[in-house]
Amino acid sequence: MSEILSAVIGTPITAHAFNGDRTQLAISPNTNEVHIYAKSGAGWQLAHTLTEHDKLVTSIDWAPQTNRIVTCSHDRNAYVWNYVSDPETGAPTWLPTLVLLRLNRSATFVRWSPNEEKFAVASGARTIAVCQFDQESDWWVAKHIKKPLRTTVLSLDWHPNSVLLAAGSADGMARVFSAFMKGVDAKPTPTVWGERLPFNTVCGEFASPSGGWVHGVAFSPSGDALAFAGHDSTITVVYPSGPETAPHAVYPIQLPALPAVSLVFISENAFVAAGHDCQPVLFEGSIDQGWAQVRSLDDHEKREGAGAGRAAGGVGRLNNSEAFNRFRSADSRGVAGGAAAPAVAGTRLTATGTELLTLHQNTITSVRAFEGGLGGQEVSQVSTTGVDGRVVVWSTAGGVGGVTQGVGRLGL
Amino acid sequence: MADSSFRRLDVDQYDEDRVLPSDLYIPDSRPPATVLSDTQGKATAVRGLLQRGDVRGALGEVLVDAPYGEGVDDAKAIALQSILSILNSTKSTDIPAIVSDLNPQEQVTLMKYLYKAMENLGETSGNVVLGWHEKLVESAGTGCIVRVMTDRKRV
Repeated sequence: MSEILSAVIGTPITAHAFNGDRTQLAISPNTNEVHIYAKSGAGWQLAHTLTEHDKLVTSIDWAPQTNRIVTCSHDRNAYVWNYVSDPETGAPTWLPTLVLLRLNRSATFVRWSPNEEKFAVASGARTIAVCQFDQESDWWVAKHIKKPLRTTVLSLDWHPNSVLLAAGSADGMARVFSAFMKGVDAKPTPTVWGERLPFNTVCGEFASPSGGWVHGVAFSPSGDALAFAGHDSTITVVYPSGPETAPHAVYPIQLPALPAVSLVFISENAFVAAGHDCQPVLFEGSIDQGWAQVRSLDDHEKREGAGAGRAAGGVGRLNNSEAFNRFRSADSRGVAGGAAAPAVAGTRLTATGTELLTLHQNTITSVRAFEGGLGGQEVSQVSTTGVDGRVVVWSTAGGVGGVTQGVGRLGL
Repeated sequence: MADSSFRRLDVDQYDEDRVLPSDLYIPDSRPPATVLSDTQGKATAVRGLLQRGDVRGALGEVLVDAPYGEGVDDAKAIALQSILSILNSTKSTDIPAIVSDLNPQEQVTLMKYLYKAMENLGETSGNVVLGWHEKLVESAGTGCIVRVMTDRKRV
Protein backbone atom coordinates (compact mmCIF):
# COMPACT_ATOMS: atom_id res chain seq x y z
CA MET A 1 0.00 0.00 0.00
CA SER A 2 1.43 3.34 -0.93
CA GLU A 3 0.37 6.53 0.75
CA ILE A 4 0.95 9.97 -0.62
CA LEU A 5 1.59 12.18 2.32
CA SER A 6 1.73 15.32 0.34
CA ALA A 7 1.81 16.89 -3.04
CA VAL A 8 3.36 20.32 -2.96
CA ILE A 9 3.29 20.90 -6.67
CA GLY A 10 6.05 23.07 -8.03
CA THR A 11 8.39 22.60 -5.10
CA PRO A 12 11.10 20.04 -5.72
CA ILE A 13 12.13 18.33 -2.49
CA THR A 14 15.90 18.12 -2.20
CA ALA A 15 16.04 16.12 1.02
CA HIS A 16 13.74 14.84 3.72
CA ALA A 17 13.82 13.34 7.20
CA PHE A 18 11.09 12.16 9.55
CA ASN A 19 11.31 12.43 13.33
CA GLY A 20 11.49 9.37 15.56
CA ASP A 21 7.76 8.64 15.83
CA ARG A 22 7.09 9.76 12.23
CA THR A 23 4.68 12.52 13.21
CA GLN A 24 6.87 15.30 11.88
CA LEU A 25 8.66 15.75 8.61
CA ALA A 26 11.54 18.06 7.72
CA ILE A 27 12.08 18.86 4.05
CA SER A 28 14.33 21.10 2.03
CA PRO A 29 12.02 22.64 -0.60
CA ASN A 30 14.99 23.31 -2.90
CA THR A 31 15.75 26.58 -1.11
CA ASN A 32 17.88 27.81 1.78
CA GLU A 33 15.07 27.00 4.22
CA VAL A 34 14.05 23.86 6.02
CA HIS A 35 10.32 23.33 6.48
CA ILE A 36 9.02 21.18 9.30
CA TYR A 37 5.54 19.78 8.88
CA ALA A 38 3.55 18.25 11.71
CA LYS A 39 0.85 15.65 11.27
CA SER A 40 -2.54 17.04 12.20
CA GLY A 41 -5.56 14.90 11.54
CA ALA A 42 -5.49 13.73 7.95
CA GLY A 43 -3.11 16.38 6.66
CA TRP A 44 0.26 17.87 7.38
CA GLN A 45 0.63 21.47 8.56
CA LEU A 46 3.70 23.65 8.31
CA ALA A 47 4.85 24.01 11.90
CA HIS A 48 8.32 25.56 11.71
CA THR A 49 10.64 27.14 9.20
CA LEU A 50 14.37 26.99 9.87
CA THR A 51 16.12 29.88 8.17
CA GLU A 52 19.75 29.95 9.28
CA HIS A 53 21.32 28.76 6.01
CA ASP A 54 21.81 31.20 3.18
CA LYS A 55 22.16 28.76 0.28
CA LEU A 56 20.42 25.59 -0.82
CA VAL A 57 19.98 23.06 1.98
CA THR A 58 21.36 19.85 0.50
CA SER A 59 20.70 17.30 3.20
CA ILE A 60 18.75 16.81 6.43
CA ASP A 61 18.93 14.14 9.10
CA TRP A 62 16.77 13.80 12.20
CA ALA A 63 18.15 11.82 15.15
CA PRO A 64 15.22 9.73 16.42
CA GLN A 65 16.30 9.34 20.07
CA THR A 66 17.84 12.71 20.88
CA ASN A 67 15.37 14.60 18.63
CA ARG A 68 18.07 16.74 17.05
CA ILE A 69 18.09 17.83 13.43
CA VAL A 70 21.27 18.36 11.47
CA THR A 71 21.21 20.23 8.19
CA CYS A 72 23.95 21.09 5.72
CA SER A 73 24.01 23.44 2.79
CA HIS A 74 25.83 24.84 -0.19
CA ASP A 75 26.80 27.74 2.10
CA ARG A 76 29.53 25.39 3.48
CA ASN A 77 27.86 25.24 6.87
CA ALA A 78 25.98 22.73 8.93
CA TYR A 79 23.73 23.39 11.91
CA VAL A 80 22.46 21.16 14.65
CA TRP A 81 18.93 22.17 15.69
CA ASN A 82 17.58 21.57 19.17
CA TYR A 83 13.93 21.93 20.14
CA VAL A 84 14.18 24.18 23.20
CA SER A 85 12.33 27.10 24.69
CA ASP A 86 13.17 30.42 23.15
CA PRO A 87 15.29 32.46 25.60
CA GLU A 88 13.17 35.57 24.93
CA THR A 89 9.60 34.34 24.63
CA GLY A 90 9.81 30.99 26.36
CA ALA A 91 7.90 29.30 23.55
CA PRO A 92 9.43 26.05 22.27
CA THR A 93 11.34 26.57 19.07
CA TRP A 94 14.15 25.11 16.98
CA LEU A 95 17.45 26.82 17.77
CA PRO A 96 20.63 26.23 15.76
CA THR A 97 24.01 25.28 17.21
CA LEU A 98 27.11 26.19 15.27
CA VAL A 99 29.20 23.48 13.62
CA LEU A 100 32.81 24.32 12.83
CA LEU A 101 33.06 22.42 9.57
CA ARG A 102 36.11 24.26 8.16
CA LEU A 103 35.11 23.44 4.59
CA ASN A 104 35.91 25.63 1.57
CA ARG A 105 33.31 24.04 -0.71
CA SER A 106 29.66 23.23 -0.34
CA ALA A 107 28.45 20.55 2.05
CA THR A 108 26.57 17.89 0.13
CA PHE A 109 25.31 15.24 2.52
CA VAL A 110 24.88 14.72 6.25
CA ARG A 111 24.00 11.75 8.45
CA TRP A 112 23.86 11.12 12.20
CA SER A 113 25.78 8.11 13.44
CA PRO A 114 23.42 5.40 14.77
CA ASN A 115 24.40 6.22 18.38
CA GLU A 116 23.58 9.88 17.65
CA GLU A 117 26.77 11.18 19.23
CA LYS A 118 28.50 12.09 15.97
CA PHE A 119 27.53 13.06 12.48
CA ALA A 120 29.41 13.15 9.21
CA VAL A 121 29.21 15.83 6.53
CA ALA A 122 30.28 15.11 2.96
CA SER A 123 31.48 17.98 0.84
CA GLY A 124 32.82 19.27 -2.43
CA ALA A 125 36.09 20.05 -0.67
CA ARG A 126 37.19 16.39 -1.09
CA THR A 127 36.66 16.02 2.59
CA ILE A 128 34.34 14.31 4.99
CA ALA A 129 33.93 16.24 8.24
CA VAL A 130 33.18 13.97 11.17
CA CYS A 131 31.72 16.09 13.95
CA GLN A 132 31.44 15.68 17.70
CA PHE A 133 30.05 18.00 20.37
CA ASP A 134 32.51 20.16 22.32
CA GLN A 135 30.89 20.74 25.71
CA GLU A 136 33.24 23.54 26.77
CA SER A 137 32.64 25.78 23.78
CA ASP A 138 29.04 24.69 23.15
CA TRP A 139 29.59 23.94 19.49
CA TRP A 140 30.32 21.00 17.24
CA VAL A 141 33.88 20.45 16.06
CA ALA A 142 34.97 18.53 12.99
CA LYS A 143 37.79 16.16 12.25
CA HIS A 144 38.50 15.69 8.54
CA ILE A 145 38.79 12.51 6.52
CA LYS A 146 40.84 13.60 3.50
CA LYS A 147 42.90 10.79 2.07
CA PRO A 148 42.53 9.37 -0.53
CA LEU A 149 39.53 11.52 -1.52
CA ARG A 150 40.20 13.60 -4.61
CA THR A 151 36.69 14.47 -5.73
CA THR A 152 33.37 15.62 -4.31
CA VAL A 153 31.84 13.21 -1.81
CA LEU A 154 28.18 12.74 -2.71
CA SER A 155 26.78 10.31 -0.18
CA LEU A 156 27.44 8.72 3.20
CA ASP A 157 26.14 5.90 5.32
CA TRP A 158 27.09 4.79 8.83
CA HIS A 159 27.88 1.24 9.84
CA PRO A 160 25.66 0.13 12.77
CA ASN A 161 28.71 0.27 15.07
CA SER A 162 28.91 4.08 14.58
CA VAL A 163 32.61 3.82 13.78
CA LEU A 164 32.77 2.84 10.12
CA LEU A 165 31.54 5.25 7.50
CA ALA A 166 30.84 4.53 3.82
CA ALA A 167 31.28 7.32 1.30
CA GLY A 168 30.47 7.51 -2.40
CA SER A 169 32.27 10.10 -4.50
CA ALA A 170 32.36 11.62 -7.96
CA ASP A 171 35.40 9.65 -9.11
CA GLY A 172 33.21 6.55 -9.24
CA MET A 173 34.52 5.03 -6.04
CA ALA A 174 32.76 3.91 -2.89
CA ARG A 175 35.02 3.75 0.15
CA VAL A 176 34.67 2.62 3.72
CA PHE A 177 36.54 4.69 6.31
CA SER A 178 37.04 4.49 10.01
CA ALA A 179 35.59 7.52 11.78
CA PHE A 180 36.81 6.37 15.18
CA MET A 181 37.03 9.26 17.66
CA LYS A 182 39.18 8.87 20.70
CA GLY A 183 37.24 9.72 23.83
CA VAL A 184 33.87 9.46 22.10
CA ASP A 185 33.81 5.91 20.79
CA ALA A 186 34.50 2.73 22.67
CA LYS A 187 36.88 0.37 20.89
CA PRO A 188 34.71 -1.37 18.27
CA THR A 189 34.47 -5.12 18.07
CA PRO A 190 36.30 -6.51 15.03
CA THR A 191 34.19 -6.80 11.89
CA VAL A 192 34.77 -8.03 8.35
CA TRP A 193 36.02 -4.53 7.64
CA GLY A 194 39.01 -4.82 9.98
CA GLU A 195 40.20 -4.93 13.56
CA ARG A 196 42.49 -1.98 14.24
CA LEU A 197 40.68 1.12 13.12
CA PRO A 198 42.39 4.45 13.83
CA PHE A 199 40.68 7.52 12.33
CA ASN A 200 40.81 7.75 8.50
CA THR A 201 41.76 4.09 7.98
CA VAL A 202 40.55 3.04 4.52
CA CYS A 203 38.82 -0.28 5.11
CA GLY A 204 37.60 -0.83 1.58
CA GLU A 205 37.69 0.82 -1.81
CA PHE A 206 35.41 -0.27 -4.65
CA ALA A 207 34.92 1.17 -8.14
CA SER A 208 31.61 1.33 -9.97
CA PRO A 209 31.89 -0.96 -13.01
CA SER A 210 31.52 1.67 -15.72
CA GLY A 211 33.02 4.52 -13.74
CA GLY A 212 29.79 6.29 -12.83
CA TRP A 213 29.98 8.70 -9.91
CA VAL A 214 28.52 7.12 -6.81
CA HIS A 215 25.18 8.71 -5.85
CA GLY A 216 24.20 6.51 -2.95
CA VAL A 217 25.80 4.10 -0.50
CA ALA A 218 24.21 1.86 2.12
CA PHE A 219 25.37 -0.70 4.66
CA SER A 220 23.26 -3.79 5.20
CA PRO A 221 21.63 -4.02 8.66
CA SER A 222 24.51 -6.18 9.96
CA GLY A 223 27.06 -3.87 8.37
CA ASP A 224 28.76 -6.82 6.69
CA ALA A 225 27.71 -5.85 3.16
CA LEU A 226 27.85 -2.58 1.27
CA ALA A 227 25.70 -1.54 -1.68
CA PHE A 228 26.29 1.52 -3.82
CA ALA A 229 24.45 3.03 -6.77
CA GLY A 230 26.41 4.67 -9.56
CA HIS A 231 25.45 7.00 -12.36
CA ASP A 232 26.32 4.19 -14.79
CA SER A 233 22.91 2.63 -14.00
CA THR A 234 24.60 0.00 -11.91
CA ILE A 235 24.17 -0.98 -8.28
CA THR A 236 27.04 -2.96 -6.80
CA VAL A 237 26.78 -5.13 -3.68
CA VAL A 238 30.10 -5.94 -2.00
CA TYR A 239 30.82 -8.56 0.66
CA PRO A 240 34.27 -7.91 2.15
CA SER A 241 36.29 -10.74 3.58
CA GLY A 242 38.78 -8.86 5.71
CA PRO A 243 41.42 -6.15 5.59
CA GLU A 244 44.00 -6.27 2.77
CA THR A 245 42.24 -9.16 1.05
CA ALA A 246 40.02 -9.25 -2.00
CA PRO A 247 36.31 -9.07 -1.19
CA HIS A 248 34.46 -12.32 -0.71
CA ALA A 249 32.00 -11.41 -3.45
CA VAL A 250 31.16 -8.41 -5.63
CA TYR A 251 27.80 -8.39 -7.41
CA PRO A 252 27.24 -5.64 -9.96
CA ILE A 253 23.56 -5.33 -10.91
CA GLN A 254 23.14 -3.63 -14.26
CA LEU A 255 19.85 -1.80 -14.32
CA PRO A 256 17.87 -1.77 -17.57
CA ALA A 257 16.62 1.75 -16.85
CA LEU A 258 17.94 5.11 -15.66
CA PRO A 259 20.33 5.32 -12.68
CA ALA A 260 19.28 5.07 -9.05
CA VAL A 261 20.48 7.84 -6.74
CA SER A 262 19.49 6.59 -3.31
CA LEU A 263 19.10 3.22 -1.68
CA VAL A 264 18.24 1.69 1.68
CA PHE A 265 18.47 -1.88 2.93
CA ILE A 266 15.22 -3.29 4.29
CA SER A 267 16.73 -6.57 5.48
CA GLU A 268 19.99 -8.47 5.11
CA ASN A 269 18.74 -9.86 1.79
CA ALA A 270 16.81 -6.99 0.25
CA PHE A 271 17.13 -3.29 -0.50
CA VAL A 272 15.08 -0.61 -2.18
CA ALA A 273 16.68 1.79 -4.66
CA ALA A 274 15.16 4.79 -6.41
CA GLY A 275 16.30 7.65 -8.59
CA HIS A 276 15.99 8.93 -12.12
CA ASP A 277 13.57 6.17 -13.05
CA CYS A 278 10.94 7.78 -10.77
CA GLN A 279 9.96 4.57 -9.00
CA PRO A 280 11.34 2.67 -6.02
CA VAL A 281 12.57 -0.77 -7.05
CA LEU A 282 13.09 -3.78 -4.79
CA PHE A 283 16.24 -5.91 -5.11
CA GLU A 284 16.86 -9.22 -3.43
CA GLY A 285 19.87 -11.47 -3.08
CA SER A 286 22.43 -12.92 -0.75
CA ILE A 287 26.14 -13.55 -0.42
CA ASP A 288 25.89 -16.91 -2.20
CA GLN A 289 23.17 -16.38 -4.76
CA GLY A 290 24.05 -12.93 -6.03
CA TRP A 291 21.62 -10.05 -6.41
CA ALA A 292 18.88 -9.19 -8.86
CA GLN A 293 16.10 -6.71 -9.42
CA VAL A 294 12.77 -8.15 -8.25
CA ARG A 295 9.98 -5.67 -8.86
CA SER A 296 8.94 -2.06 -8.64
CA LEU A 297 7.11 -0.98 -5.49
CA ASP A 298 5.12 1.32 -7.76
CA ASP A 299 2.64 -1.04 -9.35
CA HIS A 300 0.59 1.13 -11.67
CA GLU A 301 -1.86 -1.60 -12.67
CA LYS A 302 -2.79 -2.46 -9.11
CA ARG A 303 -3.04 1.18 -8.12
CA GLU A 304 -5.38 2.16 -10.93
CA GLY A 305 -7.01 -1.15 -11.63
CA ALA A 306 -6.54 -1.02 -15.40
CA GLY A 307 -4.28 0.17 -18.16
CA ALA A 308 -1.01 -1.18 -19.39
CA GLY A 309 1.58 -0.38 -16.74
CA ARG A 310 5.18 -0.28 -17.60
CA ALA A 311 7.31 -3.11 -16.32
CA ALA A 312 9.71 -2.38 -13.51
CA GLY A 313 12.63 -0.49 -14.93
CA GLY A 314 11.14 -0.83 -18.38
CA VAL A 315 13.34 -2.22 -21.06
CA GLY A 316 12.65 -0.62 -24.38
CA ARG A 317 11.44 2.62 -22.96
CA LEU A 318 12.74 4.38 -26.06
CA ASN A 319 10.51 2.25 -28.18
CA ASN A 320 7.65 4.19 -29.69
CA SER A 321 9.11 7.40 -28.34
CA GLU A 322 7.31 10.67 -28.54
CA ALA A 323 10.01 12.38 -30.55
CA PHE A 324 10.03 9.54 -33.04
CA ASN A 325 6.26 9.62 -33.41
CA ARG A 326 6.24 13.34 -33.77
CA PHE A 327 8.75 13.20 -36.60
CA ARG A 328 6.92 10.35 -38.22
CA SER A 329 3.56 12.10 -38.17
CA ALA A 330 5.18 15.27 -39.46
CA ASP A 331 6.77 13.27 -42.23
CA SER A 332 3.85 11.12 -43.33
CA ARG A 333 0.88 13.36 -42.65
CA GLY A 334 2.40 16.81 -42.58
CA VAL A 335 1.20 17.32 -39.01
CA ALA A 336 3.52 19.70 -37.25
CA GLY A 337 1.92 19.91 -33.83
CA GLY A 338 2.46 17.40 -31.07
CA ALA A 339 -1.25 16.85 -30.48
CA ALA A 340 -1.47 13.95 -32.89
CA ALA A 341 1.38 12.08 -31.27
CA PRO A 342 0.27 9.17 -29.12
CA ALA A 343 1.55 8.93 -25.57
CA VAL A 344 5.04 7.55 -25.01
CA ALA A 345 5.35 4.09 -23.51
CA GLY A 346 5.07 4.52 -19.74
CA THR A 347 3.20 7.82 -19.95
CA ARG A 348 -0.31 8.99 -20.67
CA LEU A 349 -1.70 12.15 -22.15
CA THR A 350 -3.64 14.54 -19.97
CA ALA A 351 -5.22 17.90 -20.68
CA THR A 352 -2.02 19.71 -19.78
CA GLY A 353 0.61 17.37 -21.22
CA THR A 354 1.99 13.95 -20.59
CA GLU A 355 2.04 12.28 -17.23
CA LEU A 356 4.20 9.38 -16.13
CA LEU A 357 2.38 6.26 -15.03
CA THR A 358 4.53 6.16 -11.92
CA LEU A 359 3.38 7.95 -8.76
CA HIS A 360 6.43 10.17 -8.72
CA GLN A 361 6.43 12.41 -11.76
CA ASN A 362 10.15 13.19 -11.60
CA THR A 363 13.43 11.98 -10.18
CA ILE A 364 13.29 10.58 -6.67
CA THR A 365 15.90 12.40 -4.61
CA SER A 366 15.98 10.19 -1.55
CA VAL A 367 14.59 6.97 -0.18
CA ARG A 368 14.70 6.29 3.56
CA ALA A 369 13.44 3.73 6.05
CA PHE A 370 10.06 4.76 7.48
CA GLU A 371 8.77 1.85 9.53
CA GLY A 372 10.72 -0.95 11.21
CA GLY A 373 14.45 -1.54 10.93
CA LEU A 374 15.14 -1.59 14.66
CA GLY A 375 16.52 -4.63 16.47
CA GLY A 376 16.93 -6.87 13.43
CA GLN A 377 13.38 -6.21 12.28
CA GLU A 378 12.68 -5.80 8.57
CA VAL A 379 11.94 -2.34 7.26
CA SER A 380 8.27 -2.64 6.31
CA GLN A 381 7.81 0.86 4.88
CA VAL A 382 10.10 3.30 3.10
CA SER A 383 9.55 6.96 2.31
CA THR A 384 10.58 8.73 -0.89
CA THR A 385 10.68 12.35 -1.95
CA GLY A 386 11.18 13.65 -5.43
CA VAL A 387 11.77 16.59 -7.68
CA ASP A 388 8.02 16.51 -8.32
CA GLY A 389 7.42 17.66 -4.74
CA ARG A 390 5.75 14.48 -3.59
CA VAL A 391 6.40 12.61 -0.37
CA VAL A 392 5.32 8.98 -0.64
CA VAL A 393 5.38 6.14 1.87
CA TRP A 394 5.62 2.67 0.32
CA SER A 395 5.08 -0.73 1.82
CA THR A 396 7.93 -3.12 1.02
CA ALA A 397 5.88 -6.26 1.68
CA GLY A 398 4.12 -8.25 -1.04
CA GLY A 399 1.02 -6.94 -2.74
CA VAL A 400 2.54 -3.54 -2.98
CA GLY A 401 1.34 -0.52 -4.86
CA GLY A 402 -2.31 -0.97 -3.99
CA VAL A 403 -4.88 1.73 -3.60
CA THR A 404 -3.61 5.19 -2.92
CA GLN A 405 -4.65 6.09 0.56
CA GLY A 406 -5.11 9.21 2.58
CA VAL A 407 -4.09 11.81 0.08
CA GLY A 408 -3.43 14.72 2.38
CA ARG A 409 -1.97 17.97 1.21
CA LEU A 410 0.68 19.88 3.02
CA GLY A 411 -0.86 23.08 4.28
CA LEU A 412 1.24 25.87 2.87
CA MET B 1 25.26 41.09 -19.58
CA ALA B 2 28.19 40.68 -17.25
CA ASP B 3 31.39 39.26 -18.61
CA SER B 4 31.39 35.55 -17.94
CA SER B 5 34.68 34.62 -19.59
CA PHE B 6 36.24 34.10 -16.14
CA ARG B 7 34.08 30.99 -15.89
CA ARG B 8 36.15 29.43 -18.64
CA LEU B 9 39.35 29.70 -16.59
CA ASP B 10 40.64 26.30 -15.64
CA VAL B 11 41.11 26.95 -11.94
CA ASP B 12 42.05 23.32 -11.37
CA GLN B 13 45.35 23.79 -13.19
CA TYR B 14 46.74 25.43 -10.07
CA ASP B 15 45.81 22.46 -7.94
CA GLU B 16 48.68 20.03 -7.53
CA ASP B 17 46.39 17.23 -6.47
CA ARG B 18 43.85 17.61 -9.28
CA VAL B 19 42.10 14.66 -10.84
CA LEU B 20 42.99 14.07 -14.47
CA PRO B 21 40.56 12.38 -16.87
CA SER B 22 42.99 9.46 -17.09
CA ASP B 23 42.75 8.97 -13.30
CA LEU B 24 39.09 8.09 -13.64
CA TYR B 25 39.54 4.68 -15.26
CA ILE B 26 41.87 1.75 -14.91
CA PRO B 27 44.24 1.79 -17.90
CA ASP B 28 44.72 -1.24 -20.10
CA SER B 29 47.40 -3.49 -18.64
CA ARG B 30 48.69 -4.43 -22.11
CA PRO B 31 51.31 -2.19 -23.75
CA PRO B 32 50.06 -0.31 -26.85
CA ALA B 33 52.08 -2.55 -29.24
CA THR B 34 50.41 -5.68 -27.87
CA VAL B 35 46.98 -4.04 -28.09
CA LEU B 36 47.67 -3.26 -31.75
CA SER B 37 48.84 -6.76 -32.65
CA ASP B 38 45.91 -8.29 -30.70
CA THR B 39 43.46 -6.11 -32.57
CA GLN B 40 45.04 -6.95 -35.91
CA GLY B 41 44.78 -10.65 -35.07
CA LYS B 42 41.13 -10.20 -34.17
CA ALA B 43 40.45 -8.33 -37.43
CA THR B 44 41.81 -11.32 -39.36
CA ALA B 45 39.74 -13.73 -37.27
CA VAL B 46 36.62 -11.61 -37.84
CA ARG B 47 37.11 -11.77 -41.62
CA GLY B 48 37.34 -15.54 -41.42
CA LEU B 49 34.28 -15.87 -39.20
CA LEU B 50 32.22 -13.55 -41.40
CA GLN B 51 33.08 -15.63 -44.47
CA ARG B 52 31.60 -18.62 -42.67
CA GLY B 53 28.59 -16.47 -41.71
CA ASP B 54 29.28 -16.64 -37.96
CA VAL B 55 28.23 -13.10 -36.96
CA ARG B 56 27.82 -13.91 -33.27
CA GLY B 57 31.32 -15.39 -33.13
CA ALA B 58 32.80 -12.40 -34.96
CA LEU B 59 31.11 -9.96 -32.57
CA GLY B 60 32.33 -11.94 -29.57
CA GLU B 61 35.84 -11.69 -30.96
CA VAL B 62 35.93 -7.86 -31.24
CA LEU B 63 33.83 -7.05 -28.17
CA VAL B 64 36.21 -8.74 -25.75
CA ASP B 65 39.39 -6.84 -24.78
CA ALA B 66 38.49 -3.96 -27.07
CA PRO B 67 41.22 -1.29 -27.23
CA TYR B 68 40.50 1.74 -25.03
CA GLY B 69 42.33 4.63 -23.44
CA GLU B 70 45.14 6.73 -24.81
CA GLY B 71 47.89 5.91 -27.30
CA VAL B 72 46.10 3.13 -29.14
CA ASP B 73 44.40 5.14 -31.90
CA ASP B 74 45.55 2.75 -34.66
CA ALA B 75 44.12 -0.26 -32.85
CA LYS B 76 40.87 1.64 -32.23
CA ALA B 77 40.55 2.40 -35.94
CA ILE B 78 41.11 -1.23 -36.88
CA ALA B 79 38.58 -2.44 -34.31
CA LEU B 80 36.00 0.05 -35.60
CA GLN B 81 36.53 -1.23 -39.15
CA SER B 82 35.98 -4.79 -37.94
CA ILE B 83 32.75 -3.75 -36.23
CA LEU B 84 31.53 -1.88 -39.30
CA SER B 85 32.16 -4.90 -41.49
CA ILE B 86 30.11 -7.02 -39.07
CA LEU B 87 27.28 -4.47 -38.90
CA ASN B 88 27.11 -4.29 -42.69
CA SER B 89 27.12 -8.01 -43.32
CA THR B 90 24.29 -8.92 -40.95
CA LYS B 91 20.71 -9.45 -42.10
CA SER B 92 18.41 -7.10 -40.18
CA THR B 93 16.18 -10.03 -39.16
CA ASP B 94 19.11 -11.70 -37.39
CA ILE B 95 19.98 -8.68 -35.23
CA PRO B 96 17.50 -9.20 -32.33
CA ALA B 97 18.70 -12.75 -31.65
CA ILE B 98 22.35 -11.73 -31.83
CA VAL B 99 22.11 -8.74 -29.47
CA SER B 100 20.09 -10.61 -26.86
CA ASP B 101 22.69 -13.39 -26.89
CA LEU B 102 25.49 -10.96 -25.88
CA ASN B 103 26.39 -10.68 -22.21
CA PRO B 104 25.83 -7.27 -20.53
CA GLN B 105 29.48 -6.29 -20.86
CA GLU B 106 29.51 -7.10 -24.57
CA GLN B 107 26.26 -5.17 -25.01
CA VAL B 108 27.83 -2.06 -23.47
CA THR B 109 30.92 -2.37 -25.67
CA LEU B 110 28.76 -2.86 -28.77
CA MET B 111 26.76 0.24 -27.81
CA LYS B 112 30.02 2.20 -27.55
CA TYR B 113 30.97 1.10 -31.06
CA LEU B 114 27.51 1.96 -32.41
CA TYR B 115 27.90 5.54 -31.19
CA LYS B 116 31.42 5.64 -32.55
CA ALA B 117 30.16 4.28 -35.87
CA MET B 118 27.57 7.06 -36.02
CA GLU B 119 30.43 9.56 -35.69
CA ASN B 120 32.56 7.87 -38.38
CA LEU B 121 30.05 6.43 -40.80
CA GLY B 122 32.31 6.22 -43.84
CA GLU B 123 30.68 4.00 -46.43
CA THR B 124 28.18 2.57 -43.96
CA SER B 125 24.57 3.64 -44.16
CA GLY B 126 23.25 5.36 -41.06
CA ASN B 127 20.16 3.19 -41.30
CA VAL B 128 22.20 0.08 -40.55
CA VAL B 129 23.66 1.53 -37.36
CA LEU B 130 20.29 2.88 -36.23
CA GLY B 131 18.73 -0.53 -36.81
CA TRP B 132 21.32 -2.15 -34.56
CA HIS B 133 20.89 0.61 -31.97
CA GLU B 134 17.12 0.11 -31.84
CA LYS B 135 17.40 -3.63 -31.32
CA LEU B 136 20.16 -3.27 -28.76
CA VAL B 137 18.14 -0.78 -26.69
CA GLU B 138 15.13 -3.07 -26.80
CA SER B 139 17.27 -5.84 -25.41
CA ALA B 140 19.59 -4.04 -22.99
CA GLY B 141 17.42 -1.07 -21.98
CA THR B 142 18.26 2.60 -21.57
CA GLY B 143 20.65 1.62 -18.80
CA CYS B 144 23.05 0.42 -21.49
CA ILE B 145 23.15 3.91 -23.05
CA VAL B 146 23.71 5.47 -19.64
CA ARG B 147 26.66 3.14 -19.05
CA VAL B 148 28.21 4.15 -22.37
CA MET B 149 27.83 7.83 -21.55
CA THR B 150 29.42 7.44 -18.11
CA ASP B 151 32.24 5.11 -19.03
CA ARG B 152 35.60 6.81 -19.47
CA LYS B 153 37.04 3.75 -21.17
CA ARG B 154 36.36 5.17 -24.63
CA VAL B 155 36.81 2.74 -27.49
